[in-house]
Amino acid sequence: MNISAILAVVLPEKLDTMVTTLNQLPGVEVHHIEQDSGRLILTQEAESIDDEIKGLKMIKKLPGIIMADMVQHYFGEDEHSYPPELPDELNDQSEAVCVPAFLNE
Amino acid sequence: MEITRRTLLKASVAASAAATVGIPISEVAAKTVDEAEKDWLWDKSVCRFCGTGCGIMVATQDGRIVATKGDPDAPVNRGLNCIKGYFNGKIQYGKDRLTKPLLRMTDGKFDKQGKFQAVSWDRAMDEMEKQFKQVYKEQGPHGVAIFGSGQYTIPEGYAAAKLMKAGFRSNNIDPNARHCMASAVVAFIQSFGIDEPSGNYDDIEYTDTVVTWGANMAECHPILWARVSDRKLGDVDNVKLINLTTCSNQTSDIADSEIIFKPGTDLAIWNYIAREIVKRDAVDHDFVNKHCVFATGPYDIGYGMRPTSKYAFEAEKDIQAKELEVVLDADEAIAQRRRAGERVKQKNTKAPVKHWQISFDEFKRGVEPYTLDFVARLSKGDPDESLASHRQKLQALADAYIDDQRKVVSFWTMGMNQHYRGSWVNEQAYMVHLLLGKQAKPGDGAFSLTGQPSACGTAREVGTFAHRLPADMVVANPKHRARSEKLWKLPPKTLNPKVGAHIMNILRGLEDGKIKFAWVQVNNPFQASANANHWIKAARKMDNFIVCSDPYPTVSAKVADLILPTAMIFEKWGLYGNAERRTQGWRQQVNAPGEARTDVWQALEFSKRFKLKEVWGKQKIPGLKSKGFTDGELPDVLQQAKAMGYSPEDSLYDVLFATAQNRKVAWPDEAVAKGHACNTAEWLGEGWFPEKALFNEYREFGLGHEHDLADFDTYMSDDNRGLKWPVVDGKETEWRFNEKYDPYVTKGAGFEFYGKALKATPVGDLDGVTDKKKKPLPGRAKIFFRPYAAPPEQPDNNYDLWFSTGRVIEHWHTGTMTRRVPELHRAVPTAQLFMHPYDAKQRGLKRNDVVVVESRRGVFKALLETQGRNRPAKGYTFAPFFDESVFVNKVCLDVTCPMSKETDFKKAAVKVYKA
Ligand code: SF4
Repeated sequence: MNISAILAVVLPEKLDTMVTTLNQLPGVEVHHIEQDSGRLILTQEAESIDDEIKGLKMIKKLPGIIMADMVQHYFGEDEHSYPPELPDELNDQSEAVCVPAFLNE
Repeated sequence: MEITRRTLLKASVAASAAATVGIPISEVAAKTVDEAEKDWLWDKSVCRFCGTGCGIMVATQDGRIVATKGDPDAPVNRGLNCIKGYFNGKIQYGKDRLTKPLLRMTDGKFDKQGKFQAVSWDRAMDEMEKQFKQVYKEQGPHGVAIFGSGQYTIPEGYAAAKLMKAGFRSNNIDPNARHCMASAVVAFIQSFGIDEPSGNYDDIEYTDTVVTWGANMAECHPILWARVSDRKLGDVDNVKLINLTTCSNQTSDIADSEIIFKPGTDLAIWNYIAREIVKRDAVDHDFVNKHCVFATGPYDIGYGMRPTSKYAFEAEKDIQAKELEVVLDADEAIAQRRRAGERVKQKNTKAPVKHWQISFDEFKRGVEPYTLDFVARLSKGDPDESLASHRQKLQALADAYIDDQRKVVSFWTMGMNQHYRGSWVNEQAYMVHLLLGKQAKPGDGAFSLTGQPSACGTAREVGTFAHRLPADMVVANPKHRARSEKLWKLPPKTLNPKVGAHIMNILRGLEDGKIKFAWVQVNNPFQASANANHWIKAARKMDNFIVCSDPYPTVSAKVADLILPTAMIFEKWGLYGNAERRTQGWRQQVNAPGEARTDVWQALEFSKRFKLKEVWGKQKIPGLKSKGFTDGELPDVLQQAKAMGYSPEDSLYDVLFATAQNRKVAWPDEAVAKGHACNTAEWLGEGWFPEKALFNEYREFGLGHEHDLADFDTYMSDDNRGLKWPVVDGKETEWRFNEKYDPYVTKGAGFEFYGKALKATPVGDLDGVTDKKKKPLPGRAKIFFRPYAAPPEQPDNNYDLWFSTGRVIEHWHTGTMTRRVPELHRAVPTAQLFMHPYDAKQRGLKRNDVVVVESRRGVFKALLETQGRNRPAKGYTFAPFFDESVFVNKVCLDVTCPMSKETDFKKAAVKVYKA
């Protein structure tokens, strides 16, 4: 699972409706609002970065959004991540399994 | 994950992001950050992916990276990162990360036809040494080569360059930056006598006109584009954006005007603007008279192809023949003041860079044919646009440049660099800005953007090119060699004066058997080079030995004989230099997995295996001709070495790297490291700190020579977010050549283009030299006249479509790193060929069909896309080049700019049909 924080800038006069719209998007939650400048911080939770990118693009396309970009990204418990120590089977010299198969295709 | 933990994390990530961009947060929110991040260690770093050079913060916990965020204190990106920036923390955790050296073997012995097997580092280096020494003995220093990189950290590039040039006395080291920045470099050196932009990113906030030329900034430099968009949206009516491109792209979305031009006609458009400047008497005469001269050079310089058809595929021969002779088309005839159909022998392919000063009148005569009528007709790129509309846009473009109430910044990247006349078209940008006096001022300037994170900092400044030495010096200049030999403590004439093989020639050398040992470092040349079928065959079928240092099994690793598992960005200490001359450093954050090692360690460890007597004796260099040298030969310098206190038995490691001075740079170095490890130092185990020692040694080259850098500790200190060189008395330089900002400008001069290279030239007229005597031009920039020349390959009846390659935002170059992130890969699953719906229909194709793209050189398959973010005009196609399974470079043409030797990836002719 990934959590990203996104900075969005919206037209100040549309701020309220935008907050509602954004909160309705899957996995999205608006956390901080700066009234005068129309700046928002929202989080997006998604299973995969693929979904996050799609989500971000959707947000960017919403009418009323001036800009939206990622600020922070947490992936500490992303199931796709890779252990810091190599799994034993990859270290097993006798099988030479640390040679990616396609290299020898 | 538990709900409470997840909620806490979200609140914390949000609060921390808010703080990052300066949105006030409550005390409670701040507490959640402390709570969620209590075991995280944040440290500053730099993004691995592009030349923008964004600062990113990296959090580690228990030896793993757990989070990244835009660095709020980084002046480049002010807390933001683009999508790619995210993956800095993930790229090292790909499942197929290489963790052991792999050697092709059969029955326990190296065998070029064998299969990869894991071996120890000792075994790997033994084989590498044996193979290297054999080639070195047989072919001499120019039988070996290194493929270097614009992604090298500064210490890595420096170690590789010093090992090659000072140790092995070979100039056969050339970076992939050749494919990306070489044309920019030639133009900088020819125009200003010194490399790299005069301005900086703050130009975006100072200017009111941004013109992009062949740069899809919205996708390729997104964070800079965010700054441009901010500027535009903050002052919608006044700020103007104009996007010139051959293919409608996202950068046009907020532009006031999009100009679609035919490939190669940018050369004509620049000249049209120059003609307008002259015609409307908008030349800043005061600026030009005081600070510039006019210049030109030969037109018959070929296209950087081989001069012989011996190696060409049958289908390629008609294009290859143009290297020798060109028949001028009607437009070239007008543009070059000649007759259509005239046969022009390409006589200056060997000396394309020569040039001479001309008068302003001659310059005027040069641009005279570039009328609006001519250029509008020639350059219109979208068949669906009316000529009147295109004309009107060109006129508005000239107006925007010329308006004396406007400041103007021109940005460009690969569209102008990867160009059969890349150096010319770069020079034309300076031509226009210099004529107007709109250069080297806040908000005014022609600004060449870079693709790679350290194309400037390493490839160019360190000089990991076949012709360069550090700090803009070149191997062919005896004074530069002498200065380098002094700083490197080498006997005179150790350095080789003959320019080495550029990256395409290294590949060609492998094909010809002139180069038999190559080491690939921090890049993927066998995927990234045009006309790839030739080079893969050369690597696999010829008698040679190819080493590839790589974290992942790339195409280059796959065609190699030995793969060295290599540490990635946060697994080592490093420094990068971005496109605005900003040098930035980071500490090692985590250890490399398994037996992966840093590039610095690999270079140093390899150097231990060579004794001076093996490399500093007499060496043959075919073709070497240089004053003070016997033809074809480098002298034995061992006697002088002895006199300097060296023994022939000393190793290159001791002489070049672990010098007495460098050994004093001690590791551990807690004041700088603050708990961070340095694997390179630990593996060497000799109590010195290689990255720091090498950086500080390298720095000596630039001090007092217009390239001053601060010391290692300054860049590493917690509060430093990089400094723009020259850094004089601890102060960075915001705008070069401008007295107000640049300490190198003579007091009272106002402006001074003080670069020292090529500062005396013969004098002549448009057609040639009339006075060979060199006339000096100290402190002046050159305004070049360069004509339009037609692209050597254009669509015809058989190959009837234009084809160009480029990048999309989710992927970085050949995709070696970003394709490792599975989710990201899925976002753009396989390469697409973008085509106009009309052209698709004409060929009976529909969206998502699998199509074959065929050129004279090869074919690839792709999914057809007729909608979406790249919208080619009729007659054009585009495919990104990140996907190994869609090997677009097989169809690309290996034409280069003859001056820079940079490949033109943007203009090939193809046909497309259903698979
Ligand atoms: S713009 Fe470039 S440097 Fe900045 S985060 Fe994106 S890829 Fe990295």
